[in-house]
Amino acid sequence: MSTTTPQTVTRAETAAPGPTRPVLAVDLVTDPAFVGRFAALARRLEEAGAGALTLSDGGLHPIHVAAHLAPVTRAVGLLPRTDAVYVEPFHLATQLMSLDHISHGRAGWLVHAQTDPSVPATVGRSPLDRAATAREAADVLETSRLIWDSWAPDAVVRDTAGGKYLDASRLQYADVEAETFSVRGPAITPRSPQGLLPVLVADADRAAAGERVASELADGRVLDLDLRSGADGALEAVAAAREEADGPVVRLVRVVGLDLGADPLGPVPELIDALREQGLIAPAPVVGTSLREQLGLPPAPHHLDPVRRADRARLTREDHS
Amino acid sequence: MTSTGTSPTPLSAEAAALATGPAEHPLHPAHAPTGQLSFGVFFQGVNSSTIWRLPESGDQVAWESFESLIRTAERGKFAAFFLGEGLRLREHRGVPFELDVAGRPDAQTLLAALAAVTEKIGLVATQNTTYNDPVDLARRLQTLDLLSGGRAGWNIVTTDNAWTGENFRRGGYLDHADRYIHAEAFVRVAEQFWAGEQIHHDGAHYSVRAQGDLPRSAQGRPVLFQAGASPAGQDFAARTADVIFSPHGGLEAAVEFRRSVVERTIAAGRDANAVKILPGAEIVLAPTEAEAEEKIRWVRDLQIGPEQAIALLEQYWGRDLSEFDPDGPLPDVPPEVSESGVTRGAGFQFAKAEELTRSWREEAAEKGQTILEFARVKAGARRGSFSGSYETVADRLAEYARLGAIDGLNITPWLIPSGLDDIVDELIPRLQERGVYPDEYAGETLRENLGL
Repeated sequence: MSTTTPQTVTRAETAAPGPTRPVLAVDLVTDPAFVGRFAALARRLEEAGAGALTLSDGGLHPIHVAAHLAPVTRAVGLLPRTDAVYVEPFHLATQLMSLDHISHGRAGWLVHAQTDPSVPATVGRSPLDRAATAREAADVLETSRLIWDSWAPDAVVRDTAGGKYLDASRLQYADVEAETFSVRGPAITPRSPQGLLPVLVADADRAAAGERVASELADGRVLDLDLRSGADGALEAVAAAREEADGPVVRLVRVVGLDLGADPLGPVPELIDALREQGLIAPAPVVGTSLREQLGLPPAPHHLDPVRRADRARLTREDHS
Repeated sequence: MTSTGTSPTPLSAEAAALATGPAEHPLHPAHAPTGQLSFGVFFQGVNSSTIWRLPESGDQVAWESFESLIRTAERGKFAAFFLGEGLRLREHRGVPFELDVAGRPDAQTLLAALAAVTEKIGLVATQNTTYNDPVDLARRLQTLDLLSGGRAGWNIVTTDNAWTGENFRRGGYLDHADRYIHAEAFVRVAEQFWAGEQIHHDGAHYSVRAQGDLPRSAQGRPVLFQAGASPAGQDFAARTADVIFSPHGGLEAAVEFRRSVVERTIAAGRDANAVKILPGAEIVLAPTEAEAEEKIRWVRDLQIGPEQAIALLEQYWGRDLSEFDPDGPLPDVPPEVSESGVTRGAGFQFAKAEELTRSWREEAAEKGQTILEFARVKAGARRGSFSGSYETVADRLAEYARLGAIDGLNITPWLIPSGLDDIVDELIPRLQERGVYPDEYAGETLRENLGL
């Protein structure tokens, strides 16, 4: 079996000039103790002007909690923070693009590379070293994009006269042969509203995810404001990060450290107002805006690769006949 | 649930002939029918059962379709909403199959969202034990169970083909003969996770170390469904499952299946009533029998057009049959079993293609059927026998309930999203009048609403 690095649509091809202002996100930890309160909390944060919600793993699966919040919110982006290493790439990509369908284009992925040594054994694997972890995260991210991009936007034709629901020539395989896994494709799910979901990396996750994921492949950077060290200095931190000329664009400012047990919203509404008043973050999202639009990313083009066309077996047969 | 009461009408001669015991135990001395039915709806989303050619055919991927259908089901006090699992897009002769509805969202991600817009209905995900990791799957199911307040279910399926495995890390690692052994070990790991136990599993194919770290849901753990009809599948279900999703809709077959499951459940050391049986069914209803018959034909013609009929035969012949007339006799050419490009992902066996295609040719010739007629009958055979006028279907189902042949149905709508409307508006009130269908949900959890 040949070993080729998956080729995919990279950030360089799709990135437009960064938005002038990052989107304000609030992080919710998926602690099962608060399972009955996520929906109300999400609605209140949306009303308070948050642009997005990120879901950090506190036990409940972050992608499913994000999906649960999709029908009860209207405009906020929904970005689960999930591992790109000790996972089945096909399942992960399908779950994320399904979140995009359910939320009408509000899904994103806060990618991280798992370094907790107890996790690999939960899926029957051994821990990878630091370099291999970063390579695997890059491979899984690129593979996800190939799966997301495996149906053209017009692949479902519903041609009643011709009796054809689908046009296989508008589908393509992923054909990934990575270091530790392979995926054939195409997706079992039609192209999602955004096509390619925005993929972002939090500053705290950069080291484990590696330079390639954080700086080359991801669509941008996430700056964290930790409420546990106080809201003071938040404005300065955001202003400073926006001044940095080098490295990926800060697309998201994420408020972390909400105390869900006590005063759930805490200083968040005031913080959002202050940041917005200073012009440091983007305006509150409008219903119908995709997360890509909100983040200042251009629409994701569909790349059809003739070599990976899903009807190649038929083309080959026709060549021989 | 409504009380069973006394049966308003005696059993038909056909049903009475199948009973071997008194009314309390008509089919097996240890099995006591509740006389009640629970309905599930199986949103297939793919394959030929869903008609996409009509103006009212909705989008099978759009959130609005799912939301609309599940709201209708909840209005009809359905116990459960089922979703299938996609692992690889169906292919026909090596190319994604173009004639039927294809493509669907991930089941559990969608169910987690549907949990937010429903209150009582169960949310069941079909998930296989071969291409999932047990701890990851158990965590996702437990997440769904907690988010929904104890309404999650898992329809356990197995697979073993290497073609599906091409999308997953382990590839085609599992032998057909080992699939239930592996499935049972997999389910045990999941149960340990739900119980908050330490997991120390060393299987034939991989080892797992983990610690269950989520609280129990309102129903303890997700309800387990299983669809295996083979003896090995039935034994697996008898040991493991709460509900069997069976293919046996005909009365005699359903009775035989009930007895077999009861015997196996007792042999597994469980109560004779521990496992519920819900056959899969497609229901076509109309005010009168004559109208229903016409509608059944109309539905079948829309499901299987000339192109699908040729494609159906191509799956078994393994070769291009496009030069044959759908309105003519079955192809008089031998199958090419060496060709690997048959439609995959639908569980077809092609080892006996030679024998099968010959018997089909003979059968069609004997009945004077064209390719199209033959394909429609073959495709319709698996759709169950619960179609007819509102009154006759209600009578028939009430009889199944009183006899204890089944505990309900898992209904596949042939139209999305309006396919449950007449079932909820016309059939269910008639079943409620006959005292065999609940007027209200029995409780908050799926377990309670299935009478488990």
